[in-house]
Amino acid sequence: MRVLLRNPRRELDVDGPITVAALLQRLDLNPESVLVIAGDELVARDARLDDTTTVEIRPVISGGEGPRP
Amino acid sequence: MKCRVCRGPAVIDVRRHNAAFCPDHFVTHCREQVRRAITDHHMIDPEHRIVVAVSGGKDSLALWDLLVGLDYQPDGVYLGLGIGEYSNDSLDHARAYATDRGVTLHEVDLAAEQGFTIPAAAAATHRAPCGACGLSKRHLLNRFALEHHYDTVATGHNLDDEAAVLLGNVLRWETEYLARQHPVLPATTGFARRIKPLVRLGERETAAYCVIRGIDYQVDECPMAAGNRHLHYKDVLNRLEQRSPGSKAAFFHGFLDHAHDRFADHPDGDDTGAHLGRCTECGAPTTTDVCAFCRLRHRATSRP
Repeated sequence: MRVLLRNPRRELDVDGPITVAALLQRLDLNPESVLVIAGDELVARDARLDDTTTVEIRPVISGGEGPRP
Repeated sequence: MKCRVCRGPAVIDVRRHNAAFCPDHFVTHCREQVRRAITDHHMIDPEHRIVVAVSGGKDSLALWDLLVGLDYQPDGVYLGLGIGEYSNDSLDHARAYATDRGVTLHEVDLAAEQGFTIPAAAAATHRAPCGACGLSKRHLLNRFALEHHYDTVATGHNLDDEAAVLLGNVLRWETEYLARQHPVLPATTGFARRIKPLVRLGERETAAYCVIRGIDYQVDECPMAAGNRHLHYKDVLNRLEQRSPGSKAAFFHGFLDHAHDRFADHPDGDDTGAHLGRCTECGAPTTTDVCAFCRLRHRATSRP
């Protein structure tokens, strides 16, 4: 399957079928810091991704100074 | 994985709640968390005019959408920071949301109104850009609110933001900041009320909310934020969260419940504004003759 990663943007080919949890583990990504989107739909950790799926792994961590009073 | 509410297929899990949700019930979950934050911290007076500080990112657009979904009627204000294509794209996302949803977006441009950009300020001060960015946002958004008669500025700071800032403040025992780290900063002379209704939602939840609600937000990271300390703290906290779900919420909300009051007697925790003078240039509250923002503007606009 085609996997799109962001920040920086790059693409990988990963053999499926594979669960979301296993994919993140294979890519050494913390599930707390990303969303996984297959097509246009969010998918949960136990979802099974097949070889024809295009998957985006979207980081959710925003930077900046953080809030100051 | 099944939705905790309807037992239909879940699309997202929220481990600190030991729950997973289908799209519809996840939206309900987010609204309930925001409603609870607003109620618990007495954030919003029904008579108040609210303006959301909109960056075009997931948090501020989710906040705007959530407040509208809870039947508030906030407007938005976007502050253009002059960070090249990143700022242009962010503005496009903010405008697209406002147009699609039929809500009012105001725009303030740092370069047009103050004569400098964040990259210019960072270069002039030889300091990390995030400091100049945060200072400019606080100053200009507050001024916008006061000049346009908004009672309250709502910002998209989420649980992850607050937990990371708390970690930084505790590591350095920044008692002044600990005294003032709270989801509500009341209005005082020269300051609009500031609220953070997303403090019960993590940023993974705000991002998921945007995806589910079809909100097209700025996904790319600010090019000037890479490698900063705040991101490092978030990474550390997410490692803790992965091993022990609920750690971030326990840390931040535990601070509010058990420790915040202990710092409230810090002299700089005085939130009445009574100890502040006025900037001789812009009139903003300040402890010095010229406020920090005007000093920044001088440095950023002076020729080398």
